[in-house]
This record gives sequence, structure tokens and C-alpha cells, in this order.
Amino acid sequence: MTTSELTAPQDAVPVREVRAPRRRVMGAGKQMHAGPLTYVVLIVFALVSLAPLVWTAIAASRNNQRLAETPPPLWFGANLFKNLQTAWDQAGMGTAMFNSTIVAGSITIGTVLFSTLAGFAFAKLKFRFSSTLLLLTIGTMMIPPQLAVVPLYLWMADLHWSNHLQTVILPTLVSAFGTFFMRQYLVQALPTELIEAARVDGASSLRVVWHVVFPAARPAMAVLGLLTFVMAWNDFLWPIIALNQQNPTVQVALNSLGTGYIPDQSVIMAGALLGTLPLLIAFLLFGKQIVGGIMQGAVKG
Amino acid sequence: MRTSTRRSHRLMALAAVAALTTGVLAGCSSDSDGTSSNASDSGKGKTTLTVGTFGVFGYKQAGLYDAYMKLHPNITIKEDVTTRTDVYWPKVLTRLQAGAGTDDIQAIEVGNITEAVQTQADKFVDLGKDVDKSQWLPWKNAQATTKDGKQIGLGTDTGPMAICYRKDLFKKAGLPTDRTQLANLWKGDWAKYADVGKDYMKKAPKGTKFVDSASSVYNAAIGGESQRYYDKDGNVIWDKSTGVKAAWNAAMTVATSNMSAKLKQFDPTWDQGFANASFATVACPAWMMGYIQEKAGDSGKGNWDVAAAPTAANWGGSFLGVPTASKHQAEAVALAKWLTAPEQQEKVFAKQASFPSTPAAYPNLKPAAATTAYFSNAPITQIFSDSAKTIPVQTFGIKDQPIGTAITDVGILQVEQKGKTPAQGWSAATKEIKDVLGQ
Amino acid sequence: MSSSKQALAHPAPGSGAAPGDKPGAARGAGGRGTPAPGPSSWRSRLYRWDMKAAPYAFISPFFIIFGAFGLIPLLYTGWYSLHNVQLSSLDHKSWAGLDNYRNLLSSDFFWNALKNTFTIGLISTVPQLLMAIGIAHLLNYRLRGSTVWRVVMLTPYATSVAAATLVFTLLYSWDGGMVNWLLGFVGVDPVNWRESTWGSQFAVSSIVIWRWTGYNALIYLAAMQAIPGDLYESAAIDGANRWQQFRHVTIPQLRPTILFTVVISTIGATQLFGEPLLFGGVSGSKGGSEHQYQTLGLYMYDQGWIIGNLGKASAIAWSMFLILLIVAAINLLFTRRLRKSQ
Repeated sequence: MTTSELTAPQDAVPVREVRAPRRRVMGAGKQMHAGPLTYVVLIVFALVSLAPLVWTAIAASRNNQRLAETPPPLWFGANLFKNLQTAWDQAGMGTAMFNSTIVAGSITIGTVLFSTLAGFAFAKLKFRFSSTLLLLTIGTMMIPPQLAVVPLYLWMADLHWSNHLQTVILPTLVSAFGTFFMRQYLVQALPTELIEAARVDGASSLRVVWHVVFPAARPAMAVLGLLTFVMAWNDFLWPIIALNQQNPTVQVALNSLGTGYIPDQSVIMAGALLGTLPLLIAFLLFGKQIVGGIMQGAVKG
Repeated sequence: MRTSTRRSHRLMALAAVAALTTGVLAGCSSDSDGTSSNASDSGKGKTTLTVGTFGVFGYKQAGLYDAYMKLHPNITIKEDVTTRTDVYWPKVLTRLQAGAGTDDIQAIEVGNITEAVQTQADKFVDLGKDVDKSQWLPWKNAQATTKDGKQIGLGTDTGPMAICYRKDLFKKAGLPTDRTQLANLWKGDWAKYADVGKDYMKKAPKGTKFVDSASSVYNAAIGGESQRYYDKDGNVIWDKSTGVKAAWNAAMTVATSNMSAKLKQFDPTWDQGFANASFATVACPAWMMGYIQEKAGDSGKGNWDVAAAPTAANWGGSFLGVPTASKHQAEAVALAKWLTAPEQQEKVFAKQASFPSTPAAYPNLKPAAATTAYFSNAPITQIFSDSAKTIPVQTFGIKDQPIGTAITDVGILQVEQKGKTPAQGWSAATKEIKDVLGQ
Repeated sequence: MSSSKQALAHPAPGSGAAPGDKPGAARGAGGRGTPAPGPSSWRSRLYRWDMKAAPYAFISPFFIIFGAFGLIPLLYTGWYSLHNVQLSSLDHKSWAGLDNYRNLLSSDFFWNALKNTFTIGLISTVPQLLMAIGIAHLLNYRLRGSTVWRVVMLTPYATSVAAATLVFTLLYSWDGGMVNWLLGFVGVDPVNWRESTWGSQFAVSSIVIWRWTGYNALIYLAAMQAIPGDLYESAAIDGANRWQQFRHVTIPQLRPTILFTVVISTIGATQLFGEPLLFGGVSGSKGGSEHQYQTLGLYMYDQGWIIGNLGKASAIAWSMFLILLIVAAINLLFTRRLRKSQ
């Protein structure tokens, strides 16, 4: 594998010296170690990010009375498991978790798949009306969607889909956001030469997608998948209209907690915690994928 | 390495496609599961009824559903709860108009009942037909009845008002602590109540105020006025209404003084106000007593007391209606009648102090012993039932609730928290109400 | 030239599931799309058809599904905006033409909401994106426990709205909230965060920044991961320090993604309604007693959902769309003029 084509033209450095560092995975400072200042900043950022979630756990471990007192509790109490149990039973979390997994999972897979395909087409393929269609796609994001739930429900009712999961899955199965995101990423990260090389070998468009686009897009697909999963899991406005407690997603189920004239805040917080835990698991799964793509030795420059 | 990555890619992709297909199929297949309220018969002659409520009904906790299912073994009851009314009601409105997806019984809050009566009456079953209307308080029935006499809702609970106050703070401020005495001090007029507040603030214990907010005084006062924001023909008369004037003036006395703790009701800070005894009185409907007990905690035990309110007023309360879209109208109507019967309303009161709208239940009401002790052994049932029976019939309009919110959350709040003059607050409320009415 | 391409072409013969692809044929033809006689002419026709149709096939799922489930309800809201219609009586529409829009133009509430949207949008978006790039750059280093940092970054976005509401309400409460407590140490009087104009906008912006910085940082991180290392090496060899590398390598490479986040954040800032609603607590849709933090999105939500004026609310929604179109048009004019002047 000749390296001379792979280094920048103005490089006058002999080949051997440059080879070793390039073996490393991609990414800006990946060859650099993080200094202590980096860790300090990240720790501060982490504390601010986590604080409300940690406080949710603290509140879930207390009882309703303690939560009303000032100053509010800053450390854990003893009620965590009791409240988690109460929240689980009251909200019917078993069905809700199952439903949410199906819903968020389908939406994530659909969104990532279709967004990558469309994003690739807009980024690298030439076809008529591509600019117009791209602008149209972005344009659809500019209309606030909140009020559309009313006509959407009327239509879902006509289809007899009210209270069924497909009402929540199908409208969000594709995403203009995702398409635009993948397009911008692929414009930057997918060298046209790779595609041309595959074409030269007679690859059809599908094969190009499978062997070139998907590997190159992997970090972005992981990020998009993560963001979509969280959005779909936490989505509230449409599911609460479209579903009821007999067939709920997690957010709908959580909305049945705190009944009675004295809403038990500690149980509500325990429910919120339960609802967030699967997301944290998803993070750990997806997070590992956000590494440099297999672009080692890619053609650039 | 490359081969194994490729294989794992392929496996991941296959798994993804399989999951996506399963997902869509699972979503579609719940159709035959019978989980939707449209397909609620699971064969064998069993009927499933769904009851749609928002946060404050205690039917499940009071064991009413289990009791009914024992009496009627062929009926299963499932509850569909949405905690917040401002999420519940738009959802119900949409479903009613779509003609699909409503529960067999839908609860309607008093703030929405007029809208339901005036715009959705054709979508509800007439419940007034084979029921003894005299079971309920007359003003309660009136709220759910159309001009043509169709009654779309049966009354559940009501919210008769009293004044809950802290004896210990009153004592420290040199005010009388006897509930009968206090009731006489402010009888008939909420402005007199505000005057008592002025007296309180003269020697108020440090860090305490007389009342939680000016808005709560407004809401309590307007709850007892027969003339509110609309006249009998449906015209908006809010700025000329005698009821509004009286309530507004009482609220202004509170807002322009230092006697308000300036809290927002049902905010976490309001809860803290109870826990810290930041205010000495609050206009409390019956259902608030449990709330006070919980939030004020042990430090409040025996320090709270209840006195009759200046006027007989109502805050809150709901109805149960049966949408015509229900596939089991007869059974749903039977259940609705049963749930709102005096015996059942007594049971809910016992569980969470939701005050019944059926006077027949009043002699039998027994508050929880803990509650009575907490509120200094006040004759709770007597106070609230006296109030409930004398609440006037009020005239409501379709935008009643947003107009009320405009007055409290804009007009009164500006005076209370931003130091505007009452005239400025009034004009701000006027402007807001014009926007609410779409003018 | 051919050697590197050959290296990349190696996977092709190895994969067994290739649909009828003979490695030798096309390569031997010595160029793209040159039809060879005989059995390959069918394949070349297929190839040409594939080149023409594939793009449309790839974008069709989006347009079909969106067209079916997304477009029609959105257009319906436009239809509502031309009528006087209430949420409680969808059947009783009366034609209003452009009256709803005209009324908005003369409405103080609308202009106030527009102004708030702009100020809150500015305060919340600019610092957020700057911080996001910085954080992404830090996360791009070789870190210990890199997955953990990435998970942590996204927790604000994943934290439930109910929990975040409670925390921020307690944080910013007038009497005894933590922020006022801290301010007390530097001698500042307690601020009524909900009711003061700049205070409420600052507080709402802080919630927005808290919630979305990690989100954007992840997006930048993914893009940064795709920057080839040799660009940095050559820059380093030319004597560039870390900051210069960041400015001259990272940022230019990230341009498509930066454009993406700017567009998305602008749209998000224009439609902002979740965070101000959350900040207001119970009945928070008014955005304060003087609507000091009511954004256009919140105004639309209040009018449509709480008050029930669906026609008016739909007009507000579509006016947000028109505003974004105007912003896009101005942007286009601006960049075109810049390009002409170069």
C-alpha cells in the first residue's frame, strides 16, 4: 500500500516517519492525550448534566412529606425500592416498557435506515430536482407540529387505529432531521472516490450503500440512532392523545401516576427514574459505536 | 478481521430489519388483542368497561371498581387515567369529535362542563332520563344540563369552601382562635376576610403572612357568586359583573398589601409554604384537607383549624358522562349511576375527603380520625355540608376557565408580584380577555 | 492511482452475497458504464437504470411515509388557520380568509412573543453551540472512560420533563431557591425569576442550554471522528499549535455539520415552547403575568390547547413558518451577495 498518495501534497516528509502515527484511529486529537484541564472541564460539565437526574433518584428515595420541606433533601433516603415498586405497579410499567421498546425501537431503526438512504442520495448522487427536494425536506421542519395532532388523530380514528401502537410508530418513522443530518455528515465524511472505486468494480447502488455508505456513516448512524431513540422514548404530546392506559407507552403510563388529590411526588419521581433507566442502557449500547469509522487509510486531499 | 466485521454488520442489519418488521407487525397485531376500547368483548359474555378520569378521582383506591365487579361478575372495569386536566380535556375533545377512542365513561371537570354542555351535548347520552335527579344538589345538576333539559353528566364530588387557618399563628398575632368567632368576623363578605388579614399583619409572627396568594382569595370569592363572566344568554359580561367586582376588590385588598405570601397554588413552593407555615390561612375546599395534612406534616398537627368561609362557595368538582360512541351504553350508564350514588360517594369521602354532591350522604360522612385530630376536632362535615347546601346556582359560559385564568394569572398577579396598581391590573386583564375571546 | 483503488476494491470478490456480480467483467472493461457486448448489455442497461432510479428509490421512503402521515395533518392546520374554528367544535368552521393573520399583525401579544422568541433564541443558541463544539473537541481526545463521558453528555436530553421541571422550579424559586441563595453571597437581592423580564428569559435560556448542549456536542463529535488524522499531522508538521489546528483543520472540515446545527437550532429556537412551559409550572402557558417569557410556540400552545382558539393558534403556527422562510431568504441573499463580492 503506497502511502505517498495519502499524505498531503505539500508533505516532504519521508514515508517511514509518517506511517506509524497514521495507524491510529481517526479524529482530531485522538493522537493527543487529554490534559488535566480537559478532565476538569468535563467533570464540571458532567456534574451539571447529571445533577437533575441524580436529584430525581434522591427524590424517589424520599417520601412526599419530606419533599415539601425546605431545604429540599440533598441525599438519599430509605424509600427507593418501595417507591419504585409502587410506581411500577400503579403505572402498569410492564406493558408500558414493552410497548415503548417496540415503538422506540421501530422508529429508531426506520429513521436511521431511511435517513441514511435519503441522506446518501442527497449528498452524493446526482438526480433531477435534488436541490428542490432537499429544500422541501428541510422546509417541512419549519412548520410547528404541535397542532397537527388534532387532524392526525381524526385521520387515525378513520383508519380505526386509535389506541394502537402503529399510530405512534408510523407518523415518526421517517425524519427530515435525520435525512438532513445524514446528508451533511456524508458530504463531509464520505469521499466520492470511494464510491467511484466501488462503481468501477461494477457495484450497483445497493451494494455501494451496503459496502461503502453504511461503514462510512456508522458514527453518524449511531448518533442519530441514539438521539432518535431518546426522542421516541420521551415523546409525549402525540402518544398521550393517540393512546390510552390500556395500551400505553412509558410516558403515557407515567402520566397516570400521582392520582388522588395529593399527588405523591416521591412516587412520581420514582416513575420518572424508571422511565429513564432503559435510556441509560441504550446509551451504553450505542455509545460504544460512536468511534471513528473504518476510514483507515482513506483517500483524502 | 474484515470478514468478521462484515459478518457482524450483516447480522446487525438482519436483526434490525427483523426488529422493524416485528415492531410494525406487533403494532398492527394489537388490533386483534382486544386491548382497545373498541373491541372490548373478550367473548364468554364478559363486558369490559373503560372509565376515563383525570387525577383526582379515588374510585380505585376506595375499592369501588372491585365492589362493582363483585356485584356484576360479567363486567370488568379498567381505568384510563390522565393526571392533568389540561392534557385530559383536549384529548377527550379530540376523541369525542373523531367519534372513536373514547372510554365508556368520561369524567368532566367543572371547568370544562359548560363547554361540554354547549358544544358536545349531542355526543353524550342523556343521563337525566331514568335517574332520580333530586339525589344531587340542584346547582350541581344545573351545571350539566343543556337548555333543552338534557343532562349529560351526573355529579361526583364538589368543593364547598371553608377557611383553614393556623390557630397558633393567629394566637401569636393576637387574633381570636375560636372558629365560630372568626366565622362571624368575616361572615358574608370576602372583603371582611381581607380586613381580618390587615389586623393579622399588625402583629404577625416573623416570616409569616396572612394568606397564600391573592388569586386564591379571588377564586374562593367568585366561587360563591351567581353572576360570573356570562349572562344567561351567553353574552360576556365579565367587566360589568357584580360577582367579578366583589371578588376582584377582595383580591385587590390582599394584593396591594403585604398580607400575601405571593405563592402559586400547587407549585412546589406552595407545598413548602405549608411545610414552613409561611401563611396563616388558606381558602380550603374539602378536598384540600388531605393535601394540607400531607404537606404541612407533623409540625401542623393540632395547629390547623377550620372555620366557615365568608360565603358559600364552590371550587372544583366533577361529573361522569357516557359518550354515545360507547359500545356498551346501557352497562356504562348503570355503572355511572352506581358510582355517583350516595353510598359510593360516602366511600370516596372516607378515603380521600372528596365531598359528595348527594346530600343524602351528608349525615353519614365520617372523616378519617387522623384528619379530625389534625384539624383540632373541627366539625368538618357540618361546615362543608352547610356550605354545599347553600351554594347559589351560577351562570357559566364556554370560555369561563380561560377568562378566570386571565384575571388571576395576569391581572391579579401583576398587582401582587410586580407592584402594578389595581387599575393597571384591570386593564391588563381586559386586554388578556379580549385575546382569549379572539377579538 | 490504480493501486490504492485496487486495495479498496478487494472486498468485492470476497463477499459471497453479491447479486450476480462478476469481479472481472466491469474492471476489465476499463471504465465506468462502458457496455460490453453479449450478456453484459442486459447488465449495463440494468446499471444505467440503477443509476437513474436508485436516488429516487432511496428518497422515496421519506416522501411516501411523510406524505402519508406528516404532510396532510400539517396542511390541515394551514386550512384551520384560514377559518374561525374552536377546538371544541371542529365542524363549525367559518371562513375567515387572512383575518387571523391580519389580527396577529396588530396584536401586541404576537409581537411580544416574537420579540421574546428572538431574545431567548439568541441567548440560548449562541452560547450553546459554542460550548458544544468545545466539549466535542475535548471528547475527541484520547480519554479514559470515553463511553462514560458520552453517556453523561446526553443525560440532560434524556432526563424526564417532570423531573427537570421540579428541579428548576426549586432552583429558581424566589424565596429560598438555590440560585438566589448563591446570589445572596455576593450581595444581590433575591430575584423573582419568574416575573422579572430579563430574569425569566435568562432562566429559560439556561434550561435550554442545559438540555441541548450535550445533544449538539454529540453531533459535532460524530463529525469530528470522521476527520482524517493526516490533516492534523500535516498541520502539526507545518508548525500549527492545537488552537490553530482547531481553527484551520477542525472547523473547516466541520462546516457541513455546523451548518446543520445552525439550521436546526434556528428552527428549534423559533418553535421553542417546552422549556418556557416547564419553567412556568402549573398553568405556565402564559409565560408570566406580563408574558415576559412567552415565546411564539408557547403563545400558540396557550391559544390552541388551553383556550381552544384553534384557528388563531394555527395562524400563529404558520406565521412561525413564514418567519423562518423570511430568515432563510435573507440568509440566501446575504451569502449570495458575499459570494458575488469575492
